[in-house]
Amino acid sequence: MISNLNHTKVQSQNLTLIGFGVVLIVVLLTSLSLGAYSIPFPQTLAILFDYIGLKLGTFEVQQANVLLQIRLPRIIMAVVVGGGLGIAGAALQGMFRNPLVEPGLIGVSSGAALFAVIFIVLVPVASSLAWIRPLGLPLFAFVGGLINVLAVYSLSKSQGRNDAATLILAGVAINALTGALIGLVLFFADDSALRNFTFWSLGDLAGANWSKIPVSMILISVPSILLLLNSRQLNALALGEQEAFHMGVNVQRVKIQLLLFSALIVGTGVSMAGMIGFIGLVVPHLIRILFGSDHRLVLPGSFLLGAILLNFADLISRIVVIPAEMPIGVITALIGAPFFIWLIFNLNKSKN
Amino acid sequence: MLKASKVHFCVKQRPIVEQISLEINPGEILAVLGPNGAGKSTFFKILSGEIKCKHGNVGYNGHSIESLKPKELAAIRAVMPQHSQVNFPFTVQEVVELGLISTKSNDPVKLIAEVLDATNTSHLKSRVFNSLSGGEKQRVQLSRVLVQIWETKPFPRYLLLDEPTSSLDIAQQHAVLSILQTLKSRNIGILIILHELNLAAQYADKIALIKNGAMTKMGIIEDVLNEKILENVFDHPIRLIQNPATGRLIVASGAHSYSTLATSKQA
Repeated sequence: MISNLNHTKVQSQNLTLIGFGVVLIVVLLTSLSLGAYSIPFPQTLAILFDYIGLKLGTFEVQQANVLLQIRLPRIIMAVVVGGGLGIAGAALQGMFRNPLVEPGLIGVSSGAALFAVIFIVLVPVASSLAWIRPLGLPLFAFVGGLINVLAVYSLSKSQGRNDAATLILAGVAINALTGALIGLVLFFADDSALRNFTFWSLGDLAGANWSKIPVSMILISVPSILLLLNSRQLNALALGEQEAFHMGVNVQRVKIQLLLFSALIVGTGVSMAGMIGFIGLVVPHLIRILFGSDHRLVLPGSFLLGAILLNFADLISRIVVIPAEMPIGVITALIGAPFFIWLIFNLNKSKN
Repeated sequence: MLKASKVHFCVKQRPIVEQISLEINPGEILAVLGPNGAGKSTFFKILSGEIKCKHGNVGYNGHSIESLKPKELAAIRAVMPQHSQVNFPFTVQEVVELGLISTKSNDPVKLIAEVLDATNTSHLKSRVFNSLSGGEKQRVQLSRVLVQIWETKPFPRYLLLDEPTSSLDIAQQHAVLSILQTLKSRNIGILIILHELNLAAQYADKIALIKNGAMTKMGIIEDVLNEKILENVFDHPIRLIQNPATGRLIVASGAHSYSTLATSKQA
């Protein structure tokens, strides 16, 4: 009913999303073609079209192997994880009514990391239980993320108010505790687990392969779609929880859904690609600054922009120190932070 | 009818609301008055369904409030709380549209235009809510709340307002209360918490006085606007004088010039 209320607005929202989609495709194609082993752009297209049965040009088998077996799964993973972090960040910011909230800040990432580390130590690759790893690791990480976000949420609400200071303090405390527990678990871990963890803690997409894609796609895209269905409720929550209830939103149920879905997305993302900071904070901000706060745009826009930014960061991490790779978390923060500061200052200036 | 019977609410064994009963009929404005900390806002939250109350009943159109889902309740009653903060840069249009989130309308465009017109906020439509002045914010919130129950339905609706005029100047205070009066003909019953006794005297059909969590007096204006009763409720000397322009009663402080709380209590 409301959706056709303002045609021009809906149209401009759709245009914005289509624009993001186009940029994403361009970034993906560029990312496919560039890297330690460079594949010229025409060949990249030829390989992709050949894959779906269309002859477009010639290419070498090795090119096709690199592209299809190494780069494509990695890029799909970056889309899913980056998009997931973006949309989960947007949903959590909306739910907490606080633009400072980020999966890292409120403990979702560290909780997921703790449980992932526990899982990795408890279920080594070589063990007889190794078959449950593909699904077990993300689900275990999800539980850890959920425990932490519930703890932070109830701590921040304990005085009956939901102010930013208590929320951040609760996040800091829970993160410190979780960090200590991770250290404790690592104390009992062997060398290879330790080395894995070091890379993984800064974010690492290099482990992406086709076997991980189905699980991560399902565990991230399904809750992302479910988050999208809550966009209008998030808009109502932005006016306040009481106000949302007055307007007929079942606040308790919506909040539980938002927490569950976000924790599932972040838990899966963390278990697949490690702790990639910054995306969940910056992306929803950028969308709000550029296109307004309506969550019907902020949520899908954050997914697309998150996917774009993580792919862009991944591309850079693969090409700056060829043949080595820079940890992706370093790139997201190195590029993201200054850009973000610049943006905040400039937009505030232009508004006043 | 909105009916509260023997509503009783304690915090740590201390009664905040004590055995309050009242009724609001559609087409009626009931003003709730009382000193600060009397329990008005708590009672208000119980009526709106925000606080669950173990003792006593609240019923809307014969349905107990517990039996109504948030969505069903939203179709029957709208609530304007004292302070609403919007933490993200939403536009006025977006804020007002949210009033329709769980109620259906055949012509939302017309409905919203009508309400914005009534509250004199049409010109603010594309402004960012947080950039508005206090009075403008309050009028926009009022629009959002009105949108929710504006359309005529086969059942009576109710509007609960907690000090909607607190940051408005005198002209806008009267403008808001005049809007509320026009709602009577839309089969809407209104409960409004006010601090300004004169606004209540001028616009309400009935007044309820609450002190220390209990109802001191409820009735039509003529019965309640009594110097003795008001002095007793507010612990302050009160004089009623006639407004030469309208012939209505004006409530004035009877304390001498620089009275403080302490001296007024002695008086």
